[in-house]
Amino acid sequence: MLQFEQVSKSYPGGFVALDRVSFELQKGEMAFLTGHSGAGKSTMLKLISLIERPSAGRVVINGIDLSGIRSSQIPYVRRDIGMIFQDHRLLMNHSVFDNVALPLVIEGFTGRDMARRVHAALDQVGLLDKARCLPATLSGGEAQRVGIARAVVNKPPLLLADEPTGNLDPDLSKDIMRVFEAFNQAGVSVLVASHDLSLIARMRYRTMTLKSGKMINDGLLHSEEAQ
Amino acid sequence: MSILFSGRASGASDSAPGLLQKFVMGIVTHLRQAVSSLGELWRSPIWTLVTIAVLGVSMTLPATLHVLVKNLQQVSSSYDQSFEISLFLKNDVSETDIATLVTLLQGDRDVAKVRLIDKTAAMAEFKQESGFGEAIAFLDQNPLPDVLLVTPAQNQPAAAEALLNKLQKERFVELAKLDISWLERLAAIMSLVQQVVYTIAALLLSGALLVIGNTIRLLIMDKKAEIEVMKLVGATDSFIQRPFLYTGIWLGVFGGFLAFLVIELMLFWLRGAIANVTQLYQSGFSLNVLTLQEFGLLMLIAVALGLVGSYLAVRSHIKAIEPC
Repeated sequence: MLQFEQVSKSYPGGFVALDRVSFELQKGEMAFLTGHSGAGKSTMLKLISLIERPSAGRVVINGIDLSGIRSSQIPYVRRDIGMIFQDHRLLMNHSVFDNVALPLVIEGFTGRDMARRVHAALDQVGLLDKARCLPATLSGGEAQRVGIARAVVNKPPLLLADEPTGNLDPDLSKDIMRVFEAFNQAGVSVLVASHDLSLIARMRYRTMTLKSGKMINDGLLHSEEAQ
Repeated sequence: MSILFSGRASGASDSAPGLLQKFVMGIVTHLRQAVSSLGELWRSPIWTLVTIAVLGVSMTLPATLHVLVKNLQQVSSSYDQSFEISLFLKNDVSETDIATLVTLLQGDRDVAKVRLIDKTAAMAEFKQESGFGEAIAFLDQNPLPDVLLVTPAQNQPAAAEALLNKLQKERFVELAKLDISWLERLAAIMSLVQQVVYTIAALLLSGALLVIGNTIRLLIMDKKAEIEVMKLVGATDSFIQRPFLYTGIWLGVFGGFLAFLVIELMLFWLRGAIANVTQLYQSGFSLNVLTLQEFGLLMLIAVALGLVGSYLAVRSHIKAIEPC
């Protein structure tokens, strides 16, 4: 459902962030994207969510070439992609409920219908009792799970996560990964960018490794390699 | 509407069955944004108050001048009866001809009233008023002509002048006279004052527009992070800008109402002083205040200013904020 075809991205000044990267993520597949910081992981995710456009090559989602998407259509594309960020990007002066409800409000949901979906999403990440809290009162792991609830509340078919465990200790990181696994088992395609190699190796999913913008490995990552 | 996944149900539109329900949901969303933007204003009270004050003051001055001009016009219109054309008739006109002319003029649409002062009556009046009674008795013939006083139907100098030119051409008329030069001057001054009022109003209101735009720009900058997040989860520009437009409308509502209050207070304060003056002059002048229509127009202009000011800010700044 997600394809990169010889995608390159270079920035003004000559820095090449991605160099002819190709891969395909199947419907319902879960995969990790790894590499050192600056290897191009974030750039790949930005190309998918149309924050950036590729310099060359094609990014295709569900058979639709993203280069044909006009800038006025970008919001509608983003509603089909759930995004999770390292700094979780919550609205700090709104409650957990309001944060999770944001994508629904944007799509025009109101009242009981909206509340039902928000509570379902919060239940999936185990934070139903925190709905009325402000994000500032949450721990790092809880805030990240609110971010996940917001990403999945309108049931997107594709989930992207950029370093979701970057600020968390190993136990919490494992919890977060379990949440992703649960969504994947429900049929959502998941792509997680992370440099936490030991965690990835233990999860035993397809892992793509980027180095200086080039794809150097695509397949299972073994614990030995991670060491 | 899902672009990438055609079969995917997305948005409230797919779960809401009826058109009516969709309409109601749209109204609810708008109301929610309107109320929450009011709350946003409450959160930064100082900037809000400054902006409302600027808008209110910029609207007060032109509106006050408008009231002033309106009252001056009322005063000058009380001099309208001096729009009287004197028709001095030729000496050899017979009484029947005069009677015909009077009936003719009374039938004219442009004429409101005709009054005849015949030469005998004029002579008697002159004798009495001038103090030349003795000298006049020596005249063997009455030198005064018959005079018709014609009041035009319309009270504008231009209309009176047109009528004057028409009457001048009448057969029995020796001379037609209308003393309107001072009225013309007054009218010219009034229209000058009116134009000055409009110019000042335009300048002040464009200043207010810029201040509103700047306040909205500050609000947008303040919520930059929030706008980025909204863009990331798929909000359209129009969805993001709507609360700011409502903020502009609220600023307009409060600013317009402030201007109204200031004007009313000022008129209330002036009323006593004006009453003193008019009593001394024994005139029936009463101060005209803002009518309901004028109040409506004031509010409409204020709200329009708020909306346009915020639209100018929103259009350039919301597009510029992109997530990275």
